[in-house]
Amino acid sequence: MTGREGPAPLGSPLPIHPGIFEGQEKMMTPTTEAGLADLVAHARDPLRIQGGGTRDIGAPVQGDVVSTTGLSGVSLYEPGALTLVAGAGTPLAEIEATLAAEGQRLAFEPMDHRGLLGTSGTSTIGGVVAGNISGPRRIQAGACRDSLLGVRFVDGAGRVLKNGGRVMKNVTGYDLVKLMAGSWGTLGVLTEVSLKVQALPEAVGCVLINGLSDKDAVAAMSAALGSPFDVSGAAHTPSGVDGHPVTMIRIEGLEASVAYRAAKLTGALARFGGEVSVERDANKVAAGWAWVRDVALMQGGVGDVWRISVKPSDGQKVIEKLRALYADLGVLYDWGGGLVWVQVPEGTDVRSVSFDGHATLIRSSHETRVFLPVFHPEPASLAALSRGLRAKFDPRGILNPGLMG
Amino acid sequence: MQTTFTEDQLKDPGIQRANEILRACVHCGFCTATCPTYQVLGDELDSPRGRIYQIKDMLENERVPDAKTVKHIDRCLSCLACMTTCPSGVHYMHLVDHAREYIEENYRRPLSDRVLRWVLAQILPYPMRFRWALIGAKLGRPFRFLMPDARLKAMLDMAPKSIPPVSRNDDPQSFAPVTEKKMRVALMTGCAQKALNTDINDATIRLLTRLGCEVVVAEGAGCCGALTHHMGKTSESHATAAKNIKAWCAEMDGKGLDAIVINTSGCGTTVKDYGHMFRNDALAEDAARVSALAMDVSEVLMKLDLPDGTDKDTVVAYHAACSLQHGQQIKTYPKDLLKKAGFMVVEPADSHLCCGSAGTYNLMQPEISGQLKARKVRTLEAKNPDIIAAGNIGCMMQIGSGTDVPIVHTVELLDWATGGPQPRALTEPGKTVPDIPILR
Amino acid sequence: MDMPTPNPEVLAKKARIVARLKEVLPVDAVISDEVEVRAYECDALTAYRCPPLAAVLPASTEEVAAVLKVCHAENVPVVPRGAGTSLAGGSMPTADSIILGVARMTEVLETDYENRFIRVQTGRTNLSVSGAVEEEGFFYAPDPSSQLACAIAGNIAMNSGGAHCLKYGVTTNNLMGVTMVTMEGEVIDIGGAYLDAGGLDLLGVICGSEGQLGVVTEATLRILHKPEGARPVLMGFDRNEVAGQCVSDIIKAGILPVAIEFMDRPCIRATEAFAGAGYPDCEALLIVEVEGSDEEIDAQLERILAIARAHSPVELRESTSADESARIWLGRKSAFGAMGQINDYMCLDGTIPVSQLPYVLRRIGELSKDYGLDVGNVFHAGDGNMHPLILFDANKPGDLEKCEAFGADILRLCVEVGGCLTGEHGVGIEKRDLMVDQYLPEDLDIQMAVKDVFDPKWLLNPAKVFPLASSEARRMAAE
Repeated sequence: MTGREGPAPLGSPLPIHPGIFEGQEKMMTPTTEAGLADLVAHARDPLRIQGGGTRDIGAPVQGDVVSTTGLSGVSLYEPGALTLVAGAGTPLAEIEATLAAEGQRLAFEPMDHRGLLGTSGTSTIGGVVAGNISGPRRIQAGACRDSLLGVRFVDGAGRVLKNGGRVMKNVTGYDLVKLMAGSWGTLGVLTEVSLKVQALPEAVGCVLINGLSDKDAVAAMSAALGSPFDVSGAAHTPSGVDGHPVTMIRIEGLEASVAYRAAKLTGALARFGGEVSVERDANKVAAGWAWVRDVALMQGGVGDVWRISVKPSDGQKVIEKLRALYADLGVLYDWGGGLVWVQVPEGTDVRSVSFDGHATLIRSSHETRVFLPVFHPEPASLAALSRGLRAKFDPRGILNPGLMG
Repeated sequence: MQTTFTEDQLKDPGIQRANEILRACVHCGFCTATCPTYQVLGDELDSPRGRIYQIKDMLENERVPDAKTVKHIDRCLSCLACMTTCPSGVHYMHLVDHAREYIEENYRRPLSDRVLRWVLAQILPYPMRFRWALIGAKLGRPFRFLMPDARLKAMLDMAPKSIPPVSRNDDPQSFAPVTEKKMRVALMTGCAQKALNTDINDATIRLLTRLGCEVVVAEGAGCCGALTHHMGKTSESHATAAKNIKAWCAEMDGKGLDAIVINTSGCGTTVKDYGHMFRNDALAEDAARVSALAMDVSEVLMKLDLPDGTDKDTVVAYHAACSLQHGQQIKTYPKDLLKKAGFMVVEPADSHLCCGSAGTYNLMQPEISGQLKARKVRTLEAKNPDIIAAGNIGCMMQIGSGTDVPIVHTVELLDWATGGPQPRALTEPGKTVPDIPILR
Repeated sequence: MDMPTPNPEVLAKKARIVARLKEVLPVDAVISDEVEVRAYECDALTAYRCPPLAAVLPASTEEVAAVLKVCHAENVPVVPRGAGTSLAGGSMPTADSIILGVARMTEVLETDYENRFIRVQTGRTNLSVSGAVEEEGFFYAPDPSSQLACAIAGNIAMNSGGAHCLKYGVTTNNLMGVTMVTMEGEVIDIGGAYLDAGGLDLLGVICGSEGQLGVVTEATLRILHKPEGARPVLMGFDRNEVAGQCVSDIIKAGILPVAIEFMDRPCIRATEAFAGAGYPDCEALLIVEVEGSDEEIDAQLERILAIARAHSPVELRESTSADESARIWLGRKSAFGAMGQINDYMCLDGTIPVSQLPYVLRRIGELSKDYGLDVGNVFHAGDGNMHPLILFDANKPGDLEKCEAFGADILRLCVEVGGCLTGEHGVGIEKRDLMVDQYLPEDLDIQMAVKDVFDPKWLLNPAKVFPLASSEARRMAAE
């Protein structure tokens, strides 16, 4: 045995581990792309593709585990061209450290799921890309897929394929780079990714408004995001660290610029009422936004956690509808209201409340993931296209089959 | 673009010029963005790029023009917005004028078309005949529903409600400056304008003499030839243009001229093109002299000392006539002058787009013209102006027929601001028309 | 340029096809006259032309669906067309195909400033999308040089960029949703006013698919508030390498300008002759623009100018007024027109890693001598998207072929140094055959497999993107 614990007791809201059935699967960790391709080409049965195993999201997949952690290492890093190329199994922490040493970072601020899901392990960059894992700065700098310049991957037939490259401007043929991002290993196993990176800002600031209602908070965040002051984060929760509503609006850049914009935003947002202040301590700001990024509010909480993407002004309307049905919701708005994290009683299907957008079940019991679609069901025409694409990339249906529904 | 004219074909100076122009075009398509007919119709064939392409095909292959190509060329307003937009300096105006000439010579239009065009060519350039036609149109207006052809209906609709009596100020004569003499200029009195609205010339004469110009109406000058030129009837247009060239050269060689002033921008564009039109003619040199001296009235006024006016609480929406902004590339002078005179000047959105007047276009292409008029009126009225000012009689008639906002010529406002009478269009409706002042 | 042989069965039933199209469209929306269709025989790549079977101009999504249903039933290839400004031959037809032009679909369907999006019909021009939100102080960021005339439909098909995409991203980073009609005539909606895909990123693969997966008739686009101000600075250098290094240093310093444009000596000289913007006569010129309030601009420029001075520029020119800013940009914006005055030109679009700039420019200079054709380089230095302009004479036999061979060498060079064939213009027909230099057969196969899913009959713009040999089996099977 590899030292993992047994399956989580039934009924427990927080799986201690991804649902591995003891003694049935083995874990394979190829150390070369060719080795991985060979493995997949010869596989007969479903495979569970895993990076660091920290983001156990999706319908449960039964199968031998293929780990990408053996395909690790930064193979190219050009700070002056804002380009980094690394094996898919490279730990995210290693990449972040490499970038930080040159005063750079990943623009899209990927979430660390371990706190929320109670998982352990070391997140890999391949896992981040496969899940299109993006954080609060998505609202300004784009999602993971918007920083992705190129991919290499092994498809379900065991072919080694590539798309994109190392440059930002690339319209040579179809953009399968975007398709691979967020495909959760169902189209191919990523072996290498090329990313556009970003310089660390000289200074950072956060405008804080205490005491706004959800509706006013979204309106305030819209006003901030609709201003020329280049907001890089806009989040709100009715229940902040001290239990009170707090709205957070982040700005980054040169010192003089941050001071200027903070002042302008403070002025512009005064009309929403609430108690406005500005935090300029970089560590405090970073801690606050890590709190948002990793949904600390719901960590260790009771109930399922959903992630809903809607038009910002619809965000609080969805919550209103849910509040009418359930008490004690945990709520966190990110992306100015366009991303709603909600903690609901176990087994709740938030999609029963109608809205325009999509909802993903992030944390739930194993059982819930079996009977509730984790990913938002697509309309028939789109489902047909998705099915068709999976059939092309993975003709035998062995890569994380059924994970995305 | 690549062209395939043979050496023989290129011996014709007209084809040689066309070839030059066609080679400059890289088919980039920028011109489609500002072409009014492309905005309305969304068809490549009704865009400058498409027209250039059709003309190229027609000339290279010496084709007998077919009805469809003619239709698309006919639909061109000659607004020349495309020339302003073109990054490659394609001289579209010369190309389409040449194509019109080629069509006129090689295409047998349907009878009704030929008759209509012949009638327009026989009437519009001749003020006296035009006056009689206007009176006839005024009388015939109640019967417009009987008109079988949309274009004839359009003509009846275009006839103004009141037709001014003949102004003797338009006769050949000289008007002395009221202040110290700075310039001697010839005023082109035009043709259709004289019959439709005598106030414009009167205001021009008053304003120029007030600012120190001796204004002379040359003996023997008349229609500039634009209307017939844009129908492709180049022998007629050249004939009347030649008269102007001779008349103005006589003045230049006589007492001398500092400028030939034109207050109808449609005509101004044509007179400035005389040098090109006559480049292979005996009159080439004289034509070039005339072109060099031709100026829009706003250009001349910029050289004179228009006094600063008191701030008036009057919003003037300035309508930039195509011939002025694109044809002559004069975009700021009229606005600057109006502001100097104390008016509050605003411009409509999409000011680069034609109002649909375009010479005889509103008569020949009433549907497209109507759409463009509606768009232009909407954008002008959106600014809530007190007055609309324009530098071209055609625009004034076109826009005037679609809005209740009074529309006047720029010089009328400038004249008024410097001591002249209030423009007629601003007098209350129902008032009797005052006598036309005799200025000498 | 090789194109597939027109399907004789389709040619034979032209009359029936036209009649069926006239049943579902207004009469003035179907163009089938032999002389008239010639206007649709090419886009801005005039070297290759072929009149289509017919051209249609639908005015709504429903009409587009009706057209595609007819063409699907009759096995007629369809070539979508926006404004026809493609430099890659993206909307060049074959004799058996229908041009489906969306230029009549230009309406703004919805603007939402609170949620920062605009929904438009895709025939609308790029600049007029910004025009629709200008009064409220907003704009649509991707700004290809042809933005005055190019249509959103084409922007989506080619994933167009522009000078401002250094900071704001290209079309795919600003596209939130589409309404698309499949070749079978089914209308599907993907995405919308919310961010990111709920499942597979179909929107991401549709953007940049060059009209081969469906006809996009409506699009939801991200709009942003205009910055408080912007200001350019002009820098002249006596060596290309130095200019390239300066670009790298600015980026490494953590300043993100909104645009960094590069022009080399031949371009500078041509532009001076044409537009007289007052550029210095030097080997390389950079225009760097930053945004923000006046003070923020000053702060950023202070850093940038310090970096520039460290490289001993031959000229540094700041702007102190809107007029001066316009003059700094004037030359760059007139560059293409200026080069076009000298001669015909072929505009390439290869992208390279920024670090390779000096090497690639040197190699292009060497190749220019070898081929005996002049080249001017103007491009978006911030992201390495080059636009070599090869001058040739379209009316001189053999020049076009020489020019194309030279261009192909440059593009292979771009791939060689780790870049790609095309950064903005797309593959179209122009770079089809070079795809094998960038991709292995299996890489092309998986892309074509995507098309198999969306358009199994391979009727949508089938002759583009993929080398004809690569796509032949699929195209033949469909017929």
